[in-house]
Amino acid sequence: METETLLLNMGPVHPSTHGVLRFKLRMDGEIIRDCQIVVGYLHRGTEKFGEMKTYLQFIPYTDRLDYIAAMPNNYAYVKAVEELAGIEVPQRAEYIRVLVMELNRIVNHLVFMGSLLLDLGASTMIMYGFRERENALQLYESLCGARMTFNYIRPGGVREDLPDGFIPKLNEFIKDMEKRIVDYEELVNGNEIFLMRTKNIGVISAEEAINYGMTGPSMRGSGVDHDIRKLEPYSIYQDLDFRACMRREGDSYARYLVRVDEMRESLHILKQIVDTLPEGKTINQRYSFAPNTGAPSAVTSYFPRIFTPPEGEVYSRIEAPKGELGFFVASDGTTKPYRVKIRSPSFCNLVALPKMVVGLKIPDLIAAFGTIDIVLGDVDR
Amino acid sequence: MWTGDTMITNPNAYDLIVAILNAIGVYNIILGFFQAQGMEYVLRIIIVLVEVVVVVVFALVTVMFLSWLERKMFAVVQSRYGPMVTGPRGLFQPIADGIKLLGKEDIIPATADRWIFTLAPFIVFVSVLLVFIPLPFGESLILSDLRVGLLYIIAISAITPVSILLAGWASNNKYSLMGAIRAVAQDISYTIPLAITAIAVVVFVGSLSTVDIVNAQQGYWFGVIPKWFIFLQPLGFILFLIACIAEMGRIPFDFQESEQELVAGFFTEYSGMKFAMFFLAEYAHLFAVSGIIVTIFLGGWTGPAIPLIPIQITSLVYFVIKTYAVIFFAMWLRDTVPRVRIDQLLYLGWKIMIPLALLNLLFAAFVVTAGVI
Amino acid sequence: MAWISKNWTMIGIIKGLIVTMKHILKIGNRKTVTVQYPYERMKVAPRFRGRHAVDEDACIGCGICETTCPNSTIQIVKYGTRWFPEFNLGMCLFCGLCVDACPMNALKMTGEYELADYTRESLIYGPERILFKKEVSK
Repeated sequence: METETLLLNMGPVHPSTHGVLRFKLRMDGEIIRDCQIVVGYLHRGTEKFGEMKTYLQFIPYTDRLDYIAAMPNNYAYVKAVEELAGIEVPQRAEYIRVLVMELNRIVNHLVFMGSLLLDLGASTMIMYGFRERENALQLYESLCGARMTFNYIRPGGVREDLPDGFIPKLNEFIKDMEKRIVDYEELVNGNEIFLMRTKNIGVISAEEAINYGMTGPSMRGSGVDHDIRKLEPYSIYQDLDFRACMRREGDSYARYLVRVDEMRESLHILKQIVDTLPEGKTINQRYSFAPNTGAPSAVTSYFPRIFTPPEGEVYSRIEAPKGELGFFVASDGTTKPYRVKIRSPSFCNLVALPKMVVGLKIPDLIAAFGTIDIVLGDVDR
Repeated sequence: MWTGDTMITNPNAYDLIVAILNAIGVYNIILGFFQAQGMEYVLRIIIVLVEVVVVVVFALVTVMFLSWLERKMFAVVQSRYGPMVTGPRGLFQPIADGIKLLGKEDIIPATADRWIFTLAPFIVFVSVLLVFIPLPFGESLILSDLRVGLLYIIAISAITPVSILLAGWASNNKYSLMGAIRAVAQDISYTIPLAITAIAVVVFVGSLSTVDIVNAQQGYWFGVIPKWFIFLQPLGFILFLIACIAEMGRIPFDFQESEQELVAGFFTEYSGMKFAMFFLAEYAHLFAVSGIIVTIFLGGWTGPAIPLIPIQITSLVYFVIKTYAVIFFAMWLRDTVPRVRIDQLLYLGWKIMIPLALLNLLFAAFVVTAGVI
Repeated sequence: MAWISKNWTMIGIIKGLIVTMKHILKIGNRKTVTVQYPYERMKVAPRFRGRHAVDEDACIGCGICETTCPNSTIQIVKYGTRWFPEFNLGMCLFCGLCVDACPMNALKMTGEYELADYTRESLIYGPERILFKKEVSK
């Protein structure tokens, strides 16, 4: 019998597309035959701004890429600039950087769990996730003054030192979080309806994941053991004891479990950092003078406006919570970069979605799409 | 129920009002007044109207209270407060919602069928209110003890899919129609295990009248365990509960109202008060269905009698407490589990619940015929 | 779907129901965390980046904050006989780079965040508008 396929548009304004993203689905009854993704509704020209702003001025723009977990964005750009100009970073600053980045990983995975379950219909998990996130964001507020767009990491170190009372509150947060993860696992992991919705949905094999360029927890859910913190350790990761979480099945449930495991590993890392935090300076000596000490300075870092790194180009990548975040910075010796290119994890992970969902139904599309964990600021830059 | 050749009718609310009026002493005066004008049927109509108004007002107030309760409970589970500003602890929030919905523009699409479009929400609401007729709120607190009460309830709940289809068709919108067809499929596939499980209970009682079902659950075994049918038929209770939650369209079976489906289902085109009608009908349905579950499985209004308080009032209190316990469980379930996909839902209804319900019925028939109970 | 018959006890759902029940009964450290905003407010941290404040005595009008700002939010305007910055809070990123850059430490960010207003022009906070913090000399 001749049938026609129906073109269905899950438009940019849709409650479950995590932002403004458009799907053009070709449906045969209930089954999806083809899925085209239209991006670009949030494009703000961040890479062009990289050419118009100085090295210091571009750091607030990197905050707005992955706005749910902004510290790794800062750090990836700053790491590229440091490699370009050969800036050394004191030990205490490295420890503080890893501390805030791992805390951001926990925060990101909380939002992931919440929004995945919200799409599936259970709205209690997102409220629990945001309740924990609130504690972490208050920690960040006491540290650098902002809850979402931190602008904290500078080339050569961090902007200012930890405030008093930060470490006890962080310890409290860690203890609280360990109990809550047990709660979340009991609420979600064994839930038969959740298993019915996510097991064997959106399967992608290891080879296909590598071919499509997926990275991060989405790829580690398919059995590829590739974690940049282990392969090319940056900062102090070679001194820390953690493992890269991996599952083999490659379906949505595996990707979900990888992230829950990663939350636990991040807590483990945080405990190690709190135990071994060294004393010392938080910014490279060269960039830490305040030019006129009329009154005690609020911040300890003073990054110069005229900063000309030598000519050259560098690509540096880190393991952001969503995948591999890479910055390519090319300098021509002036105060502004010649080119900044951002390799964003969400954009590259999103490409694998049509392969995952062909042959499934729309609720499965929602479940599989939720486990890839994208944020539109990252996709569209 | 029939016993041999005579028919014993259970007392209903009409008899209760007459008894109260007699106790006060005014009944004969009023009856004489109407008889003098040859219109004693007017007295009957007035008494029945009073009963009906009381039940409808009770239903509406309960619906408003239930929508507040649902939001508050949803909030308590999520460590937050819920509505707090309108009225003390947010109690007037449903009134505020109602005023807002009344003030909205009433849009009827130009190509829609005007009469059916306007009529469909009211059919849903009225058919849910009709379920309140044979529901025993207490001893002799029942609007009308139909001899086929249970069958009547199941038949009236079959009007709901028809009105949903009317609503979807009249919207002249192909996504509404698809949503309506899916909702009807869900309703039909869960009415069947519901009916079969109800019949299994009827086998124990021998009568379809709801008051007889409640009366058969009075008494205690060993003096401690009440003779409720939930202990005789635990599987039947679970199946009936799941079937009722699926009929009402609550989470975990509410893919109709999930925004993740493309449109809002069959009530996409509705706005203002008509939308409010669907909304109210859902809560009234929740209360009515919980009342039915309590009647059939949890012993209706039976409970230990308290001296000095007339049994009508204590039975009403027990009924309301038990109904709210079932409602609490339905809301608790809603807060915890995610949704089931449509094809998994139909798989559950047809391939798992119907065989189990038939097995349950077989077991009940065997137990009764063997004379065990 | 055959695993449904293996897991027919639905123990996962029951465990989830127990977690939710613990929240209803508020067992353990599971209290209500809402702060009812207009009636109660949370205290902001000392380092919070809110509206700017300029110290009148310390500012020399050098314009370093103006060139450091990534978004061209700050303009140096004449006020009386001296030059002071004027902030367009509608365009400000609240990034704090101007605070880092000020050589006299004259600029700081207060904890005020309720800055919403009705017109774009009213978001331009010039030197005369509550932008001044007079430092009491000891």
